[in-house]
Amino acid sequence: MRIESKQAFEEAVKAATALNEKRTREIMVCCGTGCLANGSQAVADAFAQRIGDLGLDVKLSLHAKTTGCHGFCERGPLVVLKPEGILYTKVKPRDVDEILEKTVGNGEIIPRLLYRNPENRQPIEKYEEIPFYKHQVRVSMRNIGRIDPASLDDALAHGAYAGMARALFELTPEQVIAEVRESGLRGRGGAGFSTARKWDATRKAVGERKFVLCNGDEGDPGAFKDRSIMEGDPHAVIEGMVIGAYAIGAREGYVYVRDEYPLAVHHMNLAIEKAKERGLLGKNILGTGFDFDLKVSRGGGAFVCGESSALMRSIEGKIGEPRAKYIHASDRGLFDLPTALNNVETWSVVGQILNQGGAWFASMGTKKSKGTKSFSLVGKVKNTGLIELPMGTTLRHIIFDIGGGILKNRPFKAVQTGGPSGGCLPADKLDLPVDYEVLSENGSMMGSGGMIVMDDRTCMVDVARYFLNFLIDESCGKCIPCREGLKQMLHIFDDLVEGRGKPGDIERIERLCKGMQLGSLCELGKSAPNPVLSTLQYFRDEYEAHINDKVCPAGMCRELTTYKINHDPCTGCHMCTRVCPTDAISGKPKEKHAIDQQLCISCGSCFDVCPEEQCIVFLPKKDIGGAHATAGN
Amino acid sequence: MDRIYRVIPERCIACGKCELACAFAHGGEGKPGVSRISIHRRGPDLGVPIVCLQCDDAACVAVCPVHALSRNEATGAIEVDYGKCVNCRMCVAACPFGNMLWDETWHCVAKCDLCHGAPKCVPFCPTGALEYIPADRAGRTPDKVAPGVLRSELIASRP
Amino acid sequence: MPRLVIDGKTVVAKEGTFLLQAAREAGIDIPTLCEHPAVEPYGGCRMCLVDVTRPEWDGWSKMVVSCLFPVEDGIIVSTKSERVMNTRRVVIDLLLARCPNTPLVQKMAAEYGIEKTSYVQNPEPTDCILCGLCTRVCDEMGTSAISSSSRGAGREIAPPFNEPPPDCIGCLACAEICPTGFIKYETSNSKRVIWNKEFEMLRCPTCGRGHITKAQAAWHDGKVPGRYFEQCDACKRKAQAAMAVTLMGGSQIR
Repeated sequence: MRIESKQAFEEAVKAATALNEKRTREIMVCCGTGCLANGSQAVADAFAQRIGDLGLDVKLSLHAKTTGCHGFCERGPLVVLKPEGILYTKVKPRDVDEILEKTVGNGEIIPRLLYRNPENRQPIEKYEEIPFYKHQVRVSMRNIGRIDPASLDDALAHGAYAGMARALFELTPEQVIAEVRESGLRGRGGAGFSTARKWDATRKAVGERKFVLCNGDEGDPGAFKDRSIMEGDPHAVIEGMVIGAYAIGAREGYVYVRDEYPLAVHHMNLAIEKAKERGLLGKNILGTGFDFDLKVSRGGGAFVCGESSALMRSIEGKIGEPRAKYIHASDRGLFDLPTALNNVETWSVVGQILNQGGAWFASMGTKKSKGTKSFSLVGKVKNTGLIELPMGTTLRHIIFDIGGGILKNRPFKAVQTGGPSGGCLPADKLDLPVDYEVLSENGSMMGSGGMIVMDDRTCMVDVARYFLNFLIDESCGKCIPCREGLKQMLHIFDDLVEGRGKPGDIERIERLCKGMQLGSLCELGKSAPNPVLSTLQYFRDEYEAHINDKVCPAGMCRELTTYKINHDPCTGCHMCTRVCPTDAISGKPKEKHAIDQQLCISCGSCFDVCPEEQCIVFLPKKDIGGAHATAGN
Repeated sequence: MDRIYRVIPERCIACGKCELACAFAHGGEGKPGVSRISIHRRGPDLGVPIVCLQCDDAACVAVCPVHALSRNEATGAIEVDYGKCVNCRMCVAACPFGNMLWDETWHCVAKCDLCHGAPKCVPFCPTGALEYIPADRAGRTPDKVAPGVLRSELIASRP
Repeated sequence: MPRLVIDGKTVVAKEGTFLLQAAREAGIDIPTLCEHPAVEPYGGCRMCLVDVTRPEWDGWSKMVVSCLFPVEDGIIVSTKSERVMNTRRVVIDLLLARCPNTPLVQKMAAEYGIEKTSYVQNPEPTDCILCGLCTRVCDEMGTSAISSSSRGAGREIAPPFNEPPPDCIGCLACAEICPTGFIKYETSNSKRVIWNKEFEMLRCPTCGRGHITKAQAAWHDGKVPGRYFEQCDACKRKAQAAMAVTLMGGSQIR
């Protein structure tokens, strides 16, 4: 039934909460994309079936549900048991009976399924006590992993739409904008533009129709926070968009989601449908007379369509190419009408800001960057996944306390933030507080909140080349500096990593970077040189080693690197032989091994598995057999 | 529109001077353009000068996809904005009288533009078959074919 | 009417025009490769970049493409600042690497002191500079038969699926507007071929000349009566002369 008054809304929330409270024992199976890939659907089905087999009274208090992503994807499928908050990791369908019998039945913990602290191998029972979760402050992701994204009642029981109700029943559009202004909220898509200013400009713009758009295109390699929000808590996005539409006077909106996110598309559509059924969206929202229609627009997965003007062209049904933005979208955006475009994460915190107040949000963060920010923490860290922290948290805290440090305890080398348009920050920047200004001042950017951690076995020249390679395919090709510049830049980098670098290459790179930054049409081209310039800024010696000495100091560029087995430490463990893809390693178990340089492709697989120190080492190819073996530890 | 361009075919002796004047007026760099006016012979030393009628509901204007054709309100002539023209030549095909031309030398469409208010053909016509006269006098002409009559009859005779 | 300063010269521009237009009307030349007044500005070639500042900006300036930047009152524009020239040099150098044999590109590169590209020359030189004029004029014609396809370095201008474009009417506007002559076509009195599509010509019943494709005549039927297209322009002039003689009551044209 439709909710058509303030009282009816409060009653609906009360009813949903009451139902929720009756369920004293909840089993929450993560069905985010990561866990689904690990087989969590079978686990969820097994729970549903087994509970169905039990009696009816049990069913009322015992409830199994599928939730969005808990963020700790590498340990999936994840199962959380309420009320205790026990976290079981890597759960298989065959574990379901045991969990129901022991933990649900007798309150007994199953140690085998618990998460173990990688530091001391001690099992940790409760989900909140795991370092990965302990330090987080979740606002945009507050309900992800807690609610069933397909259930509107579950969302209502967890506070969804309360901010929207306050905005529509109690505040004028101007007051809504004032509340958002007080929160200090800035665009989470990366640029960090003040959300309140954007809304205000769109509100004041003249247009017979106005739009609010949600950018869910998230194309950065390694970033998945927006996907998780849309999958795990689509109602937070809808709530934010209704509030934004009310504030600027828009009646129509689109959520632009890339089609590679099928679950996000499905859950957004489902949530929109349910919200419409209950009068939380569509005509006469909550009986206030405010109309707002929201549709999902599926994108073809082009990275450039995350750029605002390209995104709008794509929704219009045209080729998703950026155009010059000398006239702001707030004046002429979608269909040349006033438009406010915000990122998924931005929309998802708006409801909370209205519910808990702008001052509450502004109490977190730094002077200029308020509130919390989500990051996709990936790369060579022990705990990878999705995290949310107050702005101003140091990189060291994120990587070492939450991420648990570098895999295999290798030395930290750099962290790449902000996706392909961001930059790499070295170890001496680890104590920087993460906010918009600090990252830009240091040659990187907030971007989509991607954080790729790199260890000493990462060649920074190769990293820059990786991003160029990504962008060369994703550039739309409309303007010359981006299209041709990336192509030529990649030529230079190919030469560098393959040992054809020549003096003057660094200067050529710098000149080309300058031309692209100043000359390109959109932010993709303007920011494409960032990974190059930041690695050049902090790791210039590596570039020089590639050019002058034809050496890759990290031992990653195959054309410059060769591997050798030192006979003394070799125990004949045979592990290297098993991983070598070209059978280049000879030697029987328990005997000394050797690499046939003719067959070796310098992939480094043997180096990565060798358990002995100083056994397999890499050295510059030109020194093959020489004395300058570089120690790998 | 202070002046009216008038053709009195009865006076035309087919000397061709108007064509030369037009070609050079619309040429440059020593190369003439295509003449916008053409003489069609109707007997020994007799001709009919054929030139754009500057139709009120001109077909050339209607078909131009880039709005490169418009009327110069001062002279009444329909002119080509060569900055906008994309040489699709739809106007050449659409003019029911064939008065929109293609100038191969200059690679552009060509039509009578009344030389922006001083048609060069007029002073070169030795017999007064071409006139550019004040509008008030044009209405009181004693000529057999009254001004506008031939033009309107011709326009009415469109295929 | 916005007043602005371009290269030291005070210019009064028309409201709602773009900077490029204002500069050109003031006699200040700005190089372009993708601009044509018949089509929407595009901002793709980046050659028309200029520096824009204001007195109150304390020496800070921004680089914009003049073809798309709306004139504003009080701005100070520099079309030849050092960084503008340097950026244009990088752009034309890059384009020369793509199109090393194209006279238009060679000429503009030479104006910036570049005889040979400093980048890796395209192993498959092309004359297509991807200015998008052809696709934009096709949109302007209302046909939208061709467009850009693929992304990034693989971008090219092509009909859908690289097959003869179903919406093409053979008007040749794309070939005509192409600044480098990259778009090729063949035309005769009986047929015309462009984009691998063959068109039957509408032939003048009087002289037999094929002056327009049948598809083109059909496309424009309605804007003007289709019968206007039947004869060629020369034969229509003859008919007009004959009609004039008839109206005069005179003898027929020989």
